[in-house]
Amino acid sequence: MSGFVQSLWEAVGTLFQTFEQLLTDPAQLSCDDLVVLGACSVCVTVAVLWACSGEELRTQKVKVRADFTPGKVYYHGIPPVRAIPCLSPFGLKLETYLRMADIPYEPSTEMAMGPKGKLPWIEYNGQAMGDSNLIIEFLNKEKGVDLNRSLHDADRAVSRAFVKMLEENTYWGGAKCKMIDNQDKIQELWEVSWFIFFFYLKPAIKTIKKNMWAHGIGRHSDAELEAIVEKDVRALSDFLGSKLYLMGDEPTEADAAVFGFLAQILWTMPGTYMYRIVTEDCPNLQAYTIRMKERYWPDWDQLTGNTKKDQ
Amino acid sequence: MSESPGNVQGSLAALYESLQTSVLQLFTDPTQLSPGQAVLVAASALFVGAVVWTCCGGQRQRRTKVKLRAEFTPGMVYLHTLPAVKAIPCLTPFGIKLETYLRMADIPYEPMYGRSIGPKGKVPWIEYNGEAMGDSGLIMEFLNREKGVDLNRTLSDADKAVSRAFTKMVEENTYWGMAWNRWIDNFDNLHDLFEVSKTVMFFLRPFKGRLQQTMWAHGIGRHSKEDMEGIIEKDLWAISTFLGTKPYLMGDEPTEVDAAVFGQLSELLWTLPGSYLHRIVTVGCPNLQAYCSRIKNRYWSDWDQLTKNAKKTKEDMSLYSEIFSM
Repeated sequence: MSGFVQSLWEAVGTLFQTFEQLLTDPAQLSCDDLVVLGACSVCVTVAVLWACSGEELRTQKVKVRADFTPGKVYYHGIPPVRAIPCLSPFGLKLETYLRMADIPYEPSTEMAMGPKGKLPWIEYNGQAMGDSNLIIEFLNKEKGVDLNRSLHDADRAVSRAFVKMLEENTYWGGAKCKMIDNQDKIQELWEVSWFIFFFYLKPAIKTIKKNMWAHGIGRHSDAELEAIVEKDVRALSDFLGSKLYLMGDEPTEADAAVFGFLAQILWTMPGTYMYRIVTEDCPNLQAYTIRMKERYWPDWDQLTGNTKKDQ
Repeated sequence: MSESPGNVQGSLAALYESLQTSVLQLFTDPTQLSPGQAVLVAASALFVGAVVWTCCGGQRQRRTKVKLRAEFTPGMVYLHTLPAVKAIPCLTPFGIKLETYLRMADIPYEPMYGRSIGPKGKVPWIEYNGEAMGDSGLIMEFLNREKGVDLNRTLSDADKAVSRAFTKMVEENTYWGMAWNRWIDNFDNLHDLFEVSKTVMFFLRPFKGRLQQTMWAHGIGRHSKEDMEGIIEKDLWAISTFLGTKPYLMGDEPTEVDAAVFGQLSELLWTLPGSYLHRIVTVGCPNLQAYCSRIKNRYWSDWDQLTKNAKKTKEDMSLYSEIFSM
């Protein structure tokens, strides 16, 4: 074995002996021994606290900017890659909403998790806010926006139901397809180094699997999950029908969510079963997504650095 | 004070020998254990435990082994679900949903109360022709095909789509409001609902934390209580608004979504008295209460009989603990 391993063994042996010395006759401990013991205690304490504090405590501290313009939205999502302006369906949804509502915002150039341990999130008047839906509700009140003003109450209800279906059910199928089933393409898609992929994305993939199990949907077989996702997407297509937007001739709030979700399938999951459903089986969904992109994302190519259109 | 082990093999052998001696000492005369030996034994135990945990931690990813009945009637649905309590015939909304569906579709079934978890680690589940099947939605799809049932036959494609959207909203979002309220906000009163002693509930306390972890993983558990209640309230208002003055969600006759919505709302109405959820479905949205009573009267004529005869057994409690350990 290498000298490194041997040294490691020696160190372990020394540590045991030092510990035994601490318990039998501490007076005999040298300064070096105390330093070693002190360092080990600190390491163990930190490790135990870290493990036991759980994700909850780890994610609550968020750095917000000290100098901000009052009333300005500082938006944190995933910065653009070649494939898409934002790799998170919720980020793309929130940004599309901001554009639909004509709310000026400043996007962050770096990726950072928000106050609920997720992204997107925003800073507004020095406060950090998480969850795209809660942010939208807040901004609706704050900025006097109502993208659903043309809808009857029953239609608003249907609109909410579709958004919840996509975000609480279909979303997991998309996450699995993008992040778990197509792991070999992730490094290229996210445009990150191997280091970032190994130390940040791979653990994130493990978290997705764990979260899917907790959610319940992760307990299905691949075939069952794909069938569930397919039914959701076909339901969306059936409801959209030949309408221009989900609820009619003009876009409403739900379109931000639906677009955020479908855009991921269309531009970041080529060759997958989800891509096939959205293009071949339900072409009205592809047409709808392109319609939304052209209306609210004229700068798409500029953001993603594409020089040729690919439809 | 520090000795250098001659070589790695020597070190390993020495370590193993020390461990052997220590373990022997532990079993023969623990009082004679030196601190070093105690540390060695403890560290080894922790290491072994960690290895076993890591290996067996994959257990939950595998299909749960379920015990099936040896003799079955072909074509008969054996429904495994939670047993009745005085408040409600079944404490899981998915159980009420599935059983309501079976009654709506006139599919004969034999209820099997308590005793075991399904193949996906949850209840309800069914046995059919010697096979175990989990997930109420998948079971309904299977039985629709198998028994030639279509409760949605009067609906247009767009209406079926709306129907699915409401089912998913109520089961993947609103459901967690009930779970939170029951297991976390009102844990101290659960002994009443489950009809067990407070001592028994004390032993189920770890599952409160387990649920919190589950909801954190899901996402909805990251909200403040106020935010989450706001989300759930909006879901319920949406269902109420869409229902309007219609007798059933999609119109004059019940369809498949009514089984799902009734499953969720019945738990709010009959098992969470005094909660904000109960207030919403009664005072806030009285059409929801009327809707639930309508379905209960039509499909659960034996509701009172089932609930009055409810009797808690030890096996039932072990079933609850099994569910929450998955």
